[in-house]
Amino acid sequence: MTLRFHRALYAGTAIDAALGRFAQLANTGFDRREEVDHFVVEVTASSEARAKKIAHELANFALGLTIEQGGPDR
Amino acid sequence: MSESLLGMPPARVLADLGEGCVILTVDASMYPQHAVYAAAYCFIARCYVWLDRAEPEAFRVVLTAKQPTDAEGLRALAGEFSNELLASAWRREITRLNRGLIESVTMQAFGGAMGPPSLDDLEAFDFSDEPFDDPLGIAQSWEDKYRKPKPGAETGAETGAAVAAETDPQGGAAT
Amino acid sequence: MSLEVLQSGAALDTGGYPAFFRFREIGERVVVTSIEGEWIVLTREEFRGFLRGEVDRDGALHQRLVERNLVRESFDARRAAEAYRRRKRFVHYGPNLHLMVVTLRCNETCVYCHASRANLDALHTDMTIETAERAVDLILRTTSPHVTIEFQGGEPLVNFPVVQHIVEYATQRNRGLGKQLEFTMVSNLSLMDETKLAWLLAHRVQLCTSIDGPKSLHDKQRKLPTLSSYDAAEPWIARINAAYREAGLDPTLYHVEALLTTTKETLERWREVVDTYVALGCRALFLRPVDPFGFAEKTRKIVEYPREDYLAYYRRAVDYIIELNHQGVEILERYAAIFLTKILTGDDPNFLDIRSPGGAGIGQLAYNYDGTIYSSDEGRMLGAMGDPTFAIGDVRTSRYRDIVSHPTVRAMAIASNLEGQPDCVDCPYVPYCGTQPEHNHKTLGTMMGRMRESSMCAVHKGIQDFLFEKLATADAATLEILHRWTTIRAREHFVQPVAEGG
Repeated sequence: MTLRFHRALYAGTAIDAALGRFAQLANTGFDRREEVDHFVVEVTASSEARAKKIAHELANFALGLTIEQGGPDR
Repeated sequence: MSESLLGMPPARVLADLGEGCVILTVDASMYPQHAVYAAAYCFIARCYVWLDRAEPEAFRVVLTAKQPTDAEGLRALAGEFSNELLASAWRREITRLNRGLIESVTMQAFGGAMGPPSLDDLEAFDFSDEPFDDPLGIAQSWEDKYRKPKPGAETGAETGAAVAAETDPQGGAAT
Repeated sequence: MSLEVLQSGAALDTGGYPAFFRFREIGERVVVTSIEGEWIVLTREEFRGFLRGEVDRDGALHQRLVERNLVRESFDARRAAEAYRRRKRFVHYGPNLHLMVVTLRCNETCVYCHASRANLDALHTDMTIETAERAVDLILRTTSPHVTIEFQGGEPLVNFPVVQHIVEYATQRNRGLGKQLEFTMVSNLSLMDETKLAWLLAHRVQLCTSIDGPKSLHDKQRKLPTLSSYDAAEPWIARINAAYREAGLDPTLYHVEALLTTTKETLERWREVVDTYVALGCRALFLRPVDPFGFAEKTRKIVEYPREDYLAYYRRAVDYIIELNHQGVEILERYAAIFLTKILTGDDPNFLDIRSPGGAGIGQLAYNYDGTIYSSDEGRMLGAMGDPTFAIGDVRTSRYRDIVSHPTVRAMAIASNLEGQPDCVDCPYVPYCGTQPEHNHKTLGTMMGRMRESSMCAVHKGIQDFLFEKLATADAATLEILHRWTTIRAREHFVQPVAEGG
């Protein structure tokens, strides 16, 4: 499951904080890389359904943190 | 597979019943990014919210229900999000226009409720906190702190009313 | 030009005549208010003239508009500022209302179960002496010179020793502070006895109860095992009122206050509700709609109703109350009294749920039995339902200034400032109105709320429509009654003496 966070909408620090929080989940892997306009996170889990659910939760968490800090990093 | 929802313009709102999500295209020239954030924040407890910038002048908002839902459930989600988005955009503009009045009342409310700090409060105060909080006005210059107020400029409320009097009456009446 | 054209936002040449105003149509009339809360009710024809600046400068209408500070050329900014400041004077002080949930245990079971009750064997839901003392220590740190401690539950008489301790401890601690300290207890009265009553009267604790209308309705909504809850309360209301009279207190001012909760079944029984309150010697009836806190979804279907049904009930009941006043019966409706005080006197009675900014956290605080501090009792009820959004501290660890400036309280103050609220900024009732962030959060998913979808807004607007209709059309005797409802007389007997033995 691939998440593509647009740099104009998500804070990289928020994504890192969310990844830090989710890192302890068992049997789940996160691979983070950067593209010109996006932060990209690959989520792998024991099943596709589980990967999708974790990806959704991770994205919500990152969005919440981004909004709480007032938007993307400057 | 995307499909339109009853009563929703297909160019702006599409649903994917298989994924249990609704996809909104939001005109960035009408809805500033902070309004999208404000609306999104209200919904992250109820559904999964995904933001993207599919084209330069539009946001793409994907709302995925946390529990299985039907077309009616997705339609309600899209409709409520749109209402919240409109309210957030308008609220931001109103807050900008009425900033003086809102700030003066809010600051007085907190100043009135908190009162001056006690010695215990000062002892517990974190002076390394940023930005520098100055409860006793120590950082203020003597001139700023004790200068005589200008006539007619005693309170925020007075300023607010005076400003309002200069406001075009249509602004208050015609919306 | 029609009002519809105006509402569409079409360009309008006012000739620079009106000062800032807001308006709303009520039937064939238009309510116009100024930013500071001056008001006038115009006919449609007069309103058109006002808008276009086509008002005879030597005529009576122009004079009335000038008196209400609604004409630009004579607008008095200093007067407007003073009036605005007067309406907002509550912002100069911190919380004056402090709700203490001394226990969740309750011997009654109510269909709306507001207070998230517990059974009588749930002793762990009693507030301890230590928690109570820490709460009082915080309460007396408030910047407000007036402090009311309201005992709630559950049923506070279940944990009477802690109530007694709070009264004695707070009174003693206040001796060096000199605040105007009062105590109120909201009780179903079924556990009252002569010993407790004598103590409460001697310690000047004001007593309030809940009466949901006539006996059959009250008993159906508030169930006591083996007994009629109405029969358990009614004799004590009479007994307490008699005790006030025996103490030489004016019965028009000193009597048991009762609270009503309007459910679906109440709506058709408005006349019986009013008659019951009159028969019980009550001088005020608060026609409160049921609120969305503290009951399960399945109960909602039993007790809830559309707000237009509520407003029809409200109008019928208040018309009947006015009719009784014409016959010499002195009873008022509390919502009407609150709004009329704001409309007719330019003052604000500081009713914490109907003010801007709202009173949550900066005008009131609620202390749960376990020491958790909430922004209000509604916030506390949401906490009991598993939503901790409005928990803002703990009596054992929190400092007063941190509580009243908690980020949640700050957000609530901004959210409940109507000058930043869509719809409200265009509503003529904004100088008199208020919104409740907890209600918005629960019903609309955001503290800000969306007023067009808010049931609370519908109630507030509907009541003020009704009141302005009355003010525009009522005869002199009715207007005198409405003015009388705005009279606030202090109940000084309930203020605790500050000096030793005083």
